[in-house]
Formats: sequence, C-alpha cells, structure tokens
Amino acid sequence: MDFDALINGLDRHTLDGITRGSIYALVALGYTMVYGVMKLINFAHSEVFMVGTWATLGTYTLIGASSGMGVGMIIGATVLALLAAMLASAGTALAVERIAYRPLRKKGAPPLIFLITGIGCSMVLVETFGQVLKVFFGPPFGRVLVNVPAVLPTKVVFTIPGIDLAITNTRIIIIFGAIAMMVALDFFVNKSRLGRGVRAVAQDPDTASLMGVNQDRVIMLVFVLGGAMAGVAALLFTIQYDSTKFDIGFIIGVKAFTAAVLGGIGNLRGALIGGLVLGVVEVYASTVWDSSWADVTAFVVLVLVLMFRPTGLLGESLGKARA
Amino acid sequence: MSIITQYTNRLRDRLDVLPTWVRALGLLLVVALAFYLPYLNVLPFAYIRTDLSATGTDWASVLFLVVVYMIVAVGLNVVIGLAGLLDLGYVGFYALGAYSVALFGSTSSPVVEAIQNKFGLSEEWAVPFAICVPIAIAMALIAGVILGAPTLRLRGDYLAIVTMGFGEIIRICARNLDNVTNGAAGITNVPVPPGPEVDGRPFFNVSEPERWYWLALVVLIILIWMARRLEHSRVGRAWLAIREDEDAAAIMGVAAFKYKLWAFAIGASLGGMAGLLFGSKQQYVEPNGFMLNLSFLFVAMVVIGGSGNILGVLIGAFLLTYLPERFREFQEWRPFAFGVALVAVMILRPQGLVPSRRRAREFEDRKVEAEEAAADV
Amino acid sequence: MIRSSRTWQAVAISAVAGLALTACGTTDTGGDGDAAGGDCNFKIGVMGALSGANASIVLPSVDGAELALKQWDNEDCDVTIEKFDTEGDPAKATPVATQIAGDDSFIGVIGGAFSGETRATKAIYGDAGVTMVSQSATATDLTQDDPSPVFHRLVPYDDYQGAAIAKYLTDELGATKVFVVDNSEAYGEPLADRVEETLGDKMAQRDKTQVGQTDFAPTISKMESAKPDAVFYGGYIAEAAPLLKQMRDAGIDAPFIGGDGLYGSDFGNAVGDAGEGAIVMCPCAPIEEDSTFAADYQEEFGSAPGAYAAEGFDAMSVFLAALDDGARTREDVEKFVDGYTGDGLSKEISFDENGDVPKEKVSYWAYKNEGGTLVPDVEVSPAS
Repeated sequence: MDFDALINGLDRHTLDGITRGSIYALVALGYTMVYGVMKLINFAHSEVFMVGTWATLGTYTLIGASSGMGVGMIIGATVLALLAAMLASAGTALAVERIAYRPLRKKGAPPLIFLITGIGCSMVLVETFGQVLKVFFGPPFGRVLVNVPAVLPTKVVFTIPGIDLAITNTRIIIIFGAIAMMVALDFFVNKSRLGRGVRAVAQDPDTASLMGVNQDRVIMLVFVLGGAMAGVAALLFTIQYDSTKFDIGFIIGVKAFTAAVLGGIGNLRGALIGGLVLGVVEVYASTVWDSSWADVTAFVVLVLVLMFRPTGLLGESLGKARA
Repeated sequence: MSIITQYTNRLRDRLDVLPTWVRALGLLLVVALAFYLPYLNVLPFAYIRTDLSATGTDWASVLFLVVVYMIVAVGLNVVIGLAGLLDLGYVGFYALGAYSVALFGSTSSPVVEAIQNKFGLSEEWAVPFAICVPIAIAMALIAGVILGAPTLRLRGDYLAIVTMGFGEIIRICARNLDNVTNGAAGITNVPVPPGPEVDGRPFFNVSEPERWYWLALVVLIILIWMARRLEHSRVGRAWLAIREDEDAAAIMGVAAFKYKLWAFAIGASLGGMAGLLFGSKQQYVEPNGFMLNLSFLFVAMVVIGGSGNILGVLIGAFLLTYLPERFREFQEWRPFAFGVALVAVMILRPQGLVPSRRRAREFEDRKVEAEEAAADV
Repeated sequence: MIRSSRTWQAVAISAVAGLALTACGTTDTGGDGDAAGGDCNFKIGVMGALSGANASIVLPSVDGAELALKQWDNEDCDVTIEKFDTEGDPAKATPVATQIAGDDSFIGVIGGAFSGETRATKAIYGDAGVTMVSQSATATDLTQDDPSPVFHRLVPYDDYQGAAIAKYLTDELGATKVFVVDNSEAYGEPLADRVEETLGDKMAQRDKTQVGQTDFAPTISKMESAKPDAVFYGGYIAEAAPLLKQMRDAGIDAPFIGGDGLYGSDFGNAVGDAGEGAIVMCPCAPIEEDSTFAADYQEEFGSAPGAYAAEGFDAMSVFLAALDDGARTREDVEKFVDGYTGDGLSKEISFDENGDVPKEKVSYWAYKNEGGTLVPDVEVSPAS
C-alpha cells in the first residue's frame, strides 16, 4: 500500500480520475435515461458505444485523416467524426429498441426478458465487428486491437503553477466536452417540450398517454439521446486512447452501468456524479494498490454507498423533482 | 395463447390425471434414458450426439457440463424464478464451490501446503474429498448470507449490480491473492471423489467422462427432488408472495427479508455444489473460468427455459450448453448465431420455452393489459 | 375419459419408439473417416481460442498451421486439420480433448495455445498417447513441475524469457531503473516475476494492470515519479498498445520492451506512430530472406502473419515430417517427435526429455518496431 503516492499527487490523480470518469458518465447517461423511462437495463448500450468508436475510425479513414494535420483540418475531421459517431450510435440504439425491445413491450413481457434480448443484441453487435464484417471486408475488422489515428495530438496547453500540474488539450476537450453535453441534455430534458414528454412518461406512463404524449415516440427519443451521448463518449474515448476493438464496449458498459447506479439510476445529474466518483475511486485505488484491485475497490464503494443510500448518491428521478 | 403453450398445457393436464404408478413409471423411464444417454448410438436418435462431425466434442463430457449447468440453473431458479431476485453474480458461488475443493483438497494448493507446514504433515496429505464437499457447500452458503445480509434490502436492479460486483470480486480475488489461490496460474491436482480402483486407476478419472456424468446426474436428481419439495413448502409459498408483491406479503406477516436470505443461501449452496463437481472433474481451476459472461449465461438459461419452472430451466440449461457444442461446424460463427437465437427466441416466446403455469397466466394478463394500453393511445 | 385414452395412446407410441431404439442402425461415432488416403489418412487437431476476446493471439498460429498443411506435398497421405474452439477456457477444452483422445484418426494435436487449457487437458492426451505440440503455452510448471511424456512446445518457458529480457535490458540498453508492468494474467504475471527476479535491484518499481483496461493513467503517473530508463510490459497487444501510446503522450521516452506475446505483424498496426522503436522479444529467429512465408500467408489469409504464426506453421510441419517418415500410429508419432530435429521457420527445432526447447538451443531475438514492422535487432541468449 502506498498512501504517500496518493497524497503527494492527489491533484494529478483526481484529474486522471475525472478524465476517466467523464467517459463513464457520458455512457452512463444512456443507461440512466432508458431506465428512467422504461425501468429496464439496456444491456446492449455498451455496444452502442463501441459502434461509435468504429464510426470515428471509419470517418478518419474515409477522409484520410492522420496525425500531423493543420489546425483547420483537425477541427474539420474531429467535427465530422463527432457527427458520424453520434449518428452511428444513435442509429444503433434505435435499431436495438425497434428489434429487441419494442416487440416485447407490445406483449407486456417482464423486465427480465428485456435483459436477455439486450444481452443477445450485445453479442450480435460484438460479433458483427469481430467476425461478420471481417469475413466481408477483412481488416481492420476482426478480433484485434485497431489503431485510430491520433488526429488531435496530445499537447500540454498550460501548467498550473505551484502544484506543477500539466493540463493537456485532450483532457480539456474530454472533461469540458462531457460536462457540456451533460448540461445540454439536462437543459433539454428539463426545459424543452420534448423533454417534458420524457419526464411525463418517466413519472407515469399511463397518465402521460392519456394526456396525449406518444409513448413510443418518447421511448425512441430516449434511445436516440442516450445513443448520441454514447457517440460523443466514443469520440472522446478515441481522442484519449487512440484505439478501438470489437469488444471494447463490454468493460466500459459495466463501469458506466455501475456509475449510473452509484449516482442513482434514472437521474441525469446522478450519472455525472456517479461517473466522476467511480473514475476517481478507481484511479485512487490503482495508485494506492495497483490497477488489478481497482474494480474490487469500486464495487466495495458501490456497496457501501448503497447500504447508506439505497437509491444511489442522488436518488432516482428522471421525472420527479426539479421540473 | 400461443399454440405451443396450449399444447404443453393440455399435455400437462393429461399427465396430471394419470394414475400415480403410470407417472412413476414414466419418470423412471426418463431417468433410465438419461443414464443411458452417453451410450445412445442408434439412428435416428443418435443425431443428438455432439461427436458426429469431425470437429465435434466428446458426448459424455458435454453431457457432464450440461448437467452441471442444470444444477446451476436449478439453484439460480430458486433465486430468480421463485424468490424473484435478480442475481447477476451467480458465477461467484460457482467459483467458490470449485475453489473450495481445490484449495482444501489439492496437494498443490497454497492453503494445504500451509496446513502441512503448520502441523508437520506429509506432502501427500490434503483434506479428503468427502470433507471438501461440506466445506464447499458451507463456503458458498456463508458467502450467500454475507452477500445477502447487507444487500437484500435493496430492490430489483440495485441488487442486480451488487451481485454482479460480488461475482467480479470473487474472480479478481482468486486472481490476485497469489499466496492463497495461486493466482492466475490456478490450482492443479484437484481431488476426485473416492471410488474403487478399476484397472489400477481411480474410478473417477479423466478418460471416462461418462462416470462423471452419472455422478452429476445423481446429484442433480436429488437436488431437483429437494427443490420441488421446497417450492411447495411454506418457504416456497412465502417466496411466491414476496415475488408477487413484497409489501402485501410483509403486511400479511411474511418475513420478507428472512425468506429472501433463505433463497439466496439455498441458491448459493446449489451453485457451490455445481462448482465443486466442475472443479473436481476438470482437476484444475483457474480464475478465468469464472468470468462475468458466465453469470449472464446462467441468467439466460433460467429465463429462456421459463423462470420459476424446474423443467423449463433444465431445458434452458440444456439448450444453451448443448447447442453451441452440437453445432461446432459453424466455428467462429457460433457466438453470432447464439446472440441472434437469444433475441429471436425471447421475442417469439417471451414467457420462456416452458413457463410455469402460474407465470404463463400472469403473462397473459399482462399482455392483455399491454394491448389495452396500446389501444387507448 | 377421452382425455386419458388419448394419453394412453401417447404412452403406447412412446413405448413403440423406445423399442425402435434397439431396432435401428447405429452411427459410426468413432469417426474413422473414409479410406481415401490408404493407410495414411489422419487428422491433426488444433485447439485454442478461435472466438472471444483472446482469439487474436491464437488465430494466426492456426492459420500458420493451415498454411503448412496446404504447402505440404505428399501423395500418399490424406491429412486434414480440424479446428476446435475452446475460447481459451479449460471447461470448453476438456470435452475437446476427450474427443480427440477417443478418435484414433487424430495422430496429434497442436496446442494448447494457452497454459490454462493445457494444464486441464495434458492428462487426457497423456492417457491416450496423443502427441501435443504447443505453439504458445509458456508456463514453467507445464514441463518443470508436472511433465507429461506427450507434451512438447516450440517456445522456451517463462524462466528463460524472463532472464533474456532482463539481460537485454541491462546489457543492451544499460538500464538501471526498469519499470515492470504485467497484466495480472497467467502469461504476463509469471513472466514479469522472472524479469523482476533477474533484474534484482535494477528494477525501479512494479505495477499490475488488467486485461481489457484502456486507461493507464495511474500506471503512467507511477512511471513519472519513478523516472525509469526502460519499461517492460508482460502481456498482450490489446493492452500494450494503449499503454505505450499513453506513455508517449505523457512524454515518457524510456525504451519500451515486451515479451513474445507482442510478437506479430499486428503489433505495428495496433501501436501506430507511438510504437516506433519499441522492442519485442521473441524466441524466434528472423525468418530467412528467401522464405516466402510472409508473402504466402498474406496471400492466403489477407493479412500479415500475426502472433505465433510461425510457431503454428512449425508445429504442423513437425507432425507432417512424422508422416513423411512413415509414422502411422500415435506411438510412432510420439517417438518421432521426441527425437525430431530440423530447421523450422521460427528456430531450429528439437525437444529435450521434458518436451522443452533444449537449453543450449534457447535463444531470443530482440525485434525493433520500425515503421510498423518488427525488424530483427540483436540476438540474446539467456543462458550465458
């Protein structure tokens, strides 16, 4: 155990944790929104994220982007990749809803069944990139890790004086990107007309239907929004880690789901808090012990939180409160 | 009501009115056939075997694995199907069972070596298999209680993620605690059940998987009998009440927490039993054999078959274990096909392949409600 | 009651069906195959993770074996390669092993690819006398603690590799503060342990990571404070690549070195520009200039040969040489392989009494990643 290392570099480790947690938080939004409205865990959401990373890679390949381009090109390529990732992820989420969830909803199936079709969809998507597309198109598809060009090279933008903490451009983009998306989503759900529909269905689906809210459309909207957030997370992920793999979604998905529960599943702000807390806890644990104990620590923290706050840090509510 | 459900229900009604001795005879025939399965080699029935194609796998070994997973499914059914608690970390109990017998029974386990050194025992000494069995069951049971006691007050999906975390914690500890579990390398020389020596070899050895299959089958039959008794007992009815409406059950005087803990502990010990059989047959355990995916697979077995119904979960366990082995010709395409099949089956039969009658009726009600709700819009 | 009479009919039908069981013919489950190849009609099994997260470490070697069979020229024999997917999971590997053991037309098996499945299946193959030639199982205990007469491997075990890597670090790089990272798995951890042991006080710090991890920030910050002059990673490409990229992003320029788990043409693709100059140790000699292996492989499978592809090719070649030599039973093959010596793609092949690469022949090559390809740099012999 090395608590000195943690104390000495606390600022640095916290920043690392927030960077890691920002991506968890964005993916967690997808879980939380779907849960808030439908009371179900969308197990295929991890793959929605994975598809986004491939869309980023695809965009870079198509426009021939590589590291070492001019500033204008970098911005252009990144924006294009962002749009592609959001589109691909939202599309995937929507497809999952149509194929795997809607027929069950129409039959009034119990929540467990949704879980299994979600797992099934997740396997199909993973294997699509690991096997099916490889057979048709060959590399880069397949079961190996793929390099995504570092279009945006990591550079130190400034150093916080006194504590000597170097802030890089990618960190700024990830943290501020994540928070900006989150604020925009929160604003949308709380202030816009469509958002009111989402909240209405989350509160009481039957009454919402009576009041003229189209439930199917709200659910589609929720999947699209959650998918788009996963797409943003996918772009930020490729910016930070420059790689993707057919099964890269699984672990991120588990972590994001944990983050959503930690913050209070169904609660948008909870997803943000949960993601950041989880990221920070993991990084602290990795520093004090090593990364092989990070998950155990994270789960222990989760159990402790749930023992004292059985509905997560902020409690569950997509519809209730803050209208 | 779908045609299959109608048909199975009618069949069940008919079976119910049969004289007891006929039913007993029928059951006996089924059991006898189960024992005969490894040798089943007459056309056209032999097409069920998994070793027909060039890339097939040994039929008796697959049967053994099927039965082990059936034990798992029966155990998990107590938790999910009867008590209605979603457990996504069931593999943790399975791992505990396998690791207990390895840790205490294997001469190459660090735990046994420590005991040898402490008490000056010979290097051949290890805890006998017969004592490893209660140890394994007790370890899983205690783990079930330790996990359940603080977390069972959580509802639904919160419980799901906590149990999922538990499963991961068990695996990661098994991987990281090198001094106790031998770490990622795993433990070899896991003991086998005692038995007469045949041709100078132990009765249960690596080359005769059918004996392992029969052993597992005997265990499974005993456990099914016990599970059925439990289901129709006072405890079983309490579970049912909790599953349907926990608050109402509590008002009627059912101690929900106590019975949920019971379900958890019983489910855990069955999982431990399955793990023990698995570890012993394989004579080797390693942490990577207990990944999170296995938990999902277990839940899928219970749900696909029809949670709450023992026959259903047995069929679910059989199909999900057997089909990927039977269709090995498809090689790398199997996981893809598996995913497609999961989605397709669940959409076509959301109540499970063989749901319990009560569940099927509940499902019909809900479907009507859903249709009405849809019509309102 | 109508109901029960119907049921009786059902009972009667099933009784007839039961009788029919005994009347029908039987299948030939022995799988003896047809007699097209005369007395030399055999199958060779390959078992390993062909699907799932770890498949990328195994698939190239299977392709290599397939290529060797395809290029084999022997009129008398009809040999097929049968691929068995174990997902790297011992539970899935045991039914495979029992099947291969029980089918006499299998004269050998290439694998297990991982040490875990090898531990679980060694005894089964040993019982049946099926010769195993592993392309990539490097755990020390497989041959040292618990040797099996049928087990052979084309890669020296972890102890040698650990020593060779440490030697390279100290002698070639002149490193005195090495940062050692492993992946907490059965491959990376023991290897890193050996490296640590041999380095002694020349190791600055040790850290563990996990398989599937993508964010290595905590490891990076440990590196920043340890200020190592070299970094060793024991693990596979999927984690090595992001680790290396994040190191370079953080401005840590210390040389990066990995074990044979990183060897393969996909290393260059995965690490991109950040991997320039990274070192990969491999117990494989550089493939000779006039060899067409890489080109043939590329043509056949559409990608350059990956991890252990040459070892897979060699494992198959050993079995095929046995058949060329006239071996027709499992005993013949076992005897032939035990005494085999010959030039392989990856090295000069022979096996000692435990089935290992003989001590005097153990030799490692350091490969340097230059412009996306691994170029042989220097030979390191761990023994001296």
